[in-house]
Amino acid sequence: MVGEAHREAAVLFDGSFDGFLSVIYAVYYEKIMPLSIQVEAQAQLSLDFEPYTISTDNEKSAKVLKAIREKISEEASVSVYYAFLAAEDSRFMAILHFIRLGFKIGHMVSSHLQEDYVREVIRMERYVGREAHLLYGFCRFAETRQGAYYCPVTPKNDVLPLLANHFSQRLMNQAWVIHDKKRGQAAIYDGNSYIIAEVPKDAEVLYADGEDETQELWVTFFNTLAIETRKNKKLQRQMLPLYFRGNMTEFAKIGDRL
Amino acid sequence: MDIMEKLKVLADAAKYDVACTSSGSNRAAKRGALGSAVACGICHSFTADGRCISLLKVLLTNICIYDCQYCCNRRSNDVPRAAFAPDEVAELTMRFYQRNYIEGLFLSSAVYKSPDYTMELLIQTLRIVREKYRFNGYIHIKAIPGADNALIRQAGMLADRISTNIELPSRESLMQFAPEKTKQDILAPMKTVKHGIIQNKNELTLYRHAPKFAPAGQSTQLIVGASPESDSKIVTLAEGLYNKFSLKRVFYSAYIPVGQNPLLPTATPPLRREHRLYQADFLLRLYGFTAGELFSHPDENLSLDMDPKCHWAIQNLDKFPVEVNTAEYTMLLRVPGIGQVCAQKIVAARRVGKLDFDDLKKMRVVLKRAKYFLTCNGKAFGRFLLAPEVLKLRLREDSAGSDYTQMNLFDTAPVALPAPVALPAPVALPAPAALPSPSGAASW
Repeated sequence: MVGEAHREAAVLFDGSFDGFLSVIYAVYYEKIMPLSIQVEAQAQLSLDFEPYTISTDNEKSAKVLKAIREKISEEASVSVYYAFLAAEDSRFMAILHFIRLGFKIGHMVSSHLQEDYVREVIRMERYVGREAHLLYGFCRFAETRQGAYYCPVTPKNDVLPLLANHFSQRLMNQAWVIHDKKRGQAAIYDGNSYIIAEVPKDAEVLYADGEDETQELWVTFFNTLAIETRKNKKLQRQMLPLYFRGNMTEFAKIGDRL
Repeated sequence: MDIMEKLKVLADAAKYDVACTSSGSNRAAKRGALGSAVACGICHSFTADGRCISLLKVLLTNICIYDCQYCCNRRSNDVPRAAFAPDEVAELTMRFYQRNYIEGLFLSSAVYKSPDYTMELLIQTLRIVREKYRFNGYIHIKAIPGADNALIRQAGMLADRISTNIELPSRESLMQFAPEKTKQDILAPMKTVKHGIIQNKNELTLYRHAPKFAPAGQSTQLIVGASPESDSKIVTLAEGLYNKFSLKRVFYSAYIPVGQNPLLPTATPPLRREHRLYQADFLLRLYGFTAGELFSHPDENLSLDMDPKCHWAIQNLDKFPVEVNTAEYTMLLRVPGIGQVCAQKIVAARRVGKLDFDDLKKMRVVLKRAKYFLTCNGKAFGRFLLAPEVLKLRLREDSAGSDYTQMNLFDTAPVALPAPVALPAPVALPAPAALPSPSGAASW
């Protein structure tokens, strides 16, 4: 797989999706063979190989994305993006191998579940997609004094772009902020379009008057709905894992509610 | 009465309706309106009994003129009564939706004054939600049995899904426990909705932007264990409903003792039976089974020890083993332990190479049950396939290790259940201890 002219290197990039696609570009046009791909700011370098930083170039990344869409498939480009959002360090190399195989054999790549890298990418895609889907339901917004709605999340994978996209449709007419407290990022929507920006991990939020009443109504509704003779906490935990509950109104301790 | 009290009473009165899906409707968001609907549905929370909350499920009122024995809102029952004003429901829906608590509204009602009057109130509420507040999310509405066809059609234009609960699965039980309702009253709205949907389909092919009529279809609910019908009767009825009325879903609700009629059971709800009925229902809808295949006798019940697909497979061992690399997709679906996702994965992967059991494991096909029914390239998982009697024991769900609360179902045999003669009798078989351990191919 490595041609003679390929240069082996421990590749570093800035952590953005465009940056990652620029790495793919370099693999093909600068004949780099990455031994590892890491985000520059968090890189752990080994002494054996020289680190090589590849800078982000939006023109190159657009070309790579277009090539994936046209030469592999639309479906594969979605797999690549979702897997990129996963939390695992191994994802970059798995995606690289997935794309290389894809350029070799075309759209059938997603069927090659016998290949480790394909399976890994598809698995990560599903994991990210599932977490995002759950959060489409589990996100809880609260009205702030300024009139915007604030929603804290602490997802395992970096699903913020997917959430922002979903809620920019669903809650189209209201301003909102989805705050990823784990990564210190927020999606900020003003009623027209959203941006994703770095923000502090902790932010003080002032809630609107009357917000506590709405929350109380919801919690009452939630508690009323359970049928005592059918009680099944294990099933509840299977469907709604504990790690989501920290940000959900109906599971907040009474003192923590507004 | 303030809104908090009303919500408490009217949510409590609605909670025995098990349907809470928000699926089947795709509606893009619109500028100036609030919300959207996605076909896969979204669960927003889960209650302590593990059921999903996706819609604001409330009754408009629980003041009822009827006296159905199985229902907690019957006229003769001494419970607090309340009624929402249509605008209150609409406002509550909006407040919850803006905070992403819910996927939409599920509005039902007790029969207040008359079926037509109640239906008009429901429609009025939907109009406020859709027109005044411009709500674009999911709405599920109940059709009140006995209401006029024209009203049902109006409701269908405003809602995504419309449902009529059959509740009791036979005419006799209906006469016994809900004498004020007739089978005709219940089936009439279902027919209206069915025709509305067919007509709307034609309109939509002619005019792409024609208003949609109940785009998420219709559903119904059957109460299980209140009346003496067997599983076979219930599943056959469900099959008929799917075929004749093109229902999207039939829901099954284990009867929770809220009635005082001496003929109604007082035991804990038959949750495992309900679970088996849902499994059978999925086999009908998504796996190509017919009710006739699952039962050989009309008075039969589903096995509580074993899921219906396993049960069918053991009765039809001549159709197995199935060769993973060549079997039809429809046959893969019939293998116990293989669902749609696995079957699709197998079909995709075998296009590009032969599969063996290791590949299946890597693809996360669960082999716990499937291994007894599959071959890969002509080879079975162990050295040979098992005899039916051994298989039966291996596939029985270990009730000691399970978390179901229904272990003593036969000890406290509910009055209404038919005698368990038709159930498979595990007594004749040797004790599990005498058999080789169920795990590990080495001991086969």
